[in-house]
Amino acid sequence: MKDDAGKTAGPLTGLVFAPGEKPIFRPGERIRIATRSPIGHYRVPLYLRGKTGTIEAVIEPAAIDNEEEGYGRNAGTKRHYYRVAFPMTEVWPGYEGSPRDGLRIEVYETWLERR
Amino acid sequence: MTETQDLVKRLPNDIGGLPAEPIRQVDHALEPWEKRCHALADVLDYHKIINTEEKRCGVEALGAEMIGKLTYYERWIVAFANILFRKGILTPEALARKMAEVEARWDAENGGGKEGAAHRQD
Amino acid sequence: MTQPNDRHDEAHDHAHEEIGRSGRPGYYDIMETAVRELLVERQLIGADEIRRQIELLDSRNPALGAKVVARAWVDAAFRARLLADGRKACEELGISFYDDTQLIVLENTDKLHNLIVCTLCSCYPRPVLGLPPDWYKLKPYRSRAVSEPRAVLAEFGTVIPEDVEIRVSDSTAMVRYLVLPKRPDGTDDYSEEQLAALVTRDTMIGVVPARVGQEAVQP
Repeated sequence: MKDDAGKTAGPLTGLVFAPGEKPIFRPGERIRIATRSPIGHYRVPLYLRGKTGTIEAVIEPAAIDNEEEGYGRNAGTKRHYYRVAFPMTEVWPGYEGSPRDGLRIEVYETWLERR
Repeated sequence: MTETQDLVKRLPNDIGGLPAEPIRQVDHALEPWEKRCHALADVLDYHKIINTEEKRCGVEALGAEMIGKLTYYERWIVAFANILFRKGILTPEALARKMAEVEARWDAENGGGKEGAAHRQD
Repeated sequence: MTQPNDRHDEAHDHAHEEIGRSGRPGYYDIMETAVRELLVERQLIGADEIRRQIELLDSRNPALGAKVVARAWVDAAFRARLLADGRKACEELGISFYDDTQLIVLENTDKLHNLIVCTLCSCYPRPVLGLPPDWYKLKPYRSRAVSEPRAVLAEFGTVIPEDVEIRVSDSTAMVRYLVLPKRPDGTDDYSEEQLAALVTRDTMIGVVPARVGQEAVQP
């Protein structure tokens, strides 16, 4: 791709990314935590399954799934963790605090579904 | 049926939101062996012999009864032993022999033997 | 479900008794020594590495975090960098991170009070605070901080008005958290060192606010 000398090049075309290299979700997006119930090592607490929240931040860089890492699999496809925001009233029925109160937690991309 | 499924689906350490007692603000200075155990965990992680997540998985695998009855670093060292066995790095026999050797060495260096045995915790 | 680990305190008392009587290492102490010696014999780890790591651990304590907080209180540009990338800002002050964790620093304001917990295990910002207290690792705090933070804070003597958001961060992966407490009133003429003395471990977990006169009370 030609670009004028002295000017910044435009976006690269034809660049292919590794699987999982680009985050699927962006800050502000509404997501739901999956409702699956794996046995064995998991890092998404039961109290969060099926809850709806908002992506607050993408954690960089992409990393190994810690649920796989627990079994010694230190390598493989990397994806993103996200810092996700939940109102406490969404997480706990009958929450006895301020309706403003919130929860933040890191969740791996494989656990997130678009709302 | 549902009751046993719930046991299987909830890891013993997954306690967020469960009912619990008032917090007692307890703390203790680490015993020397506990500090060595923590250092061992870090060194094993540096070498990727047992990474931090494997350690967590190993502690979970101890099951609810042991988790409830062993202290924090006791859980770690038992989990390390189990993981090292599974990876073929140590054998149960090698560890048992070494533990007996460590004990005997301490007794020999401290004029122990029968006298020491009388005070043993287990 | 697992019971709160009260047994720890009992076990600890027994261990003390035993050491007082004969000094004989307990079962798990012997296990640790045996595992370590076998790994060293097989050249999988070096004996010096354990010694070195113990020194590292001994060098990490809440005074490091207090320095970071005090600097953020007096230097707005540093505070901005700290909130943007906690680990990098700590490294500016010479606080290295010896593991792969990142740090997100959570700023308390008049409208927001942060609290940190690890419900699944005991994740804690060790590079900058040292080792966590037992209560942080036991069931009552871990199960209740995330579901009834106001009741938990009240047990620490901290009452947050209802119009202030309490935000609980539960660590599950490689990010660790540090609370940046509000600077107490009446400290305008404090030196950075005097400010750091107000910042205790519990203020950086978020269970208590930083207070003038509080530093003398902390254990």
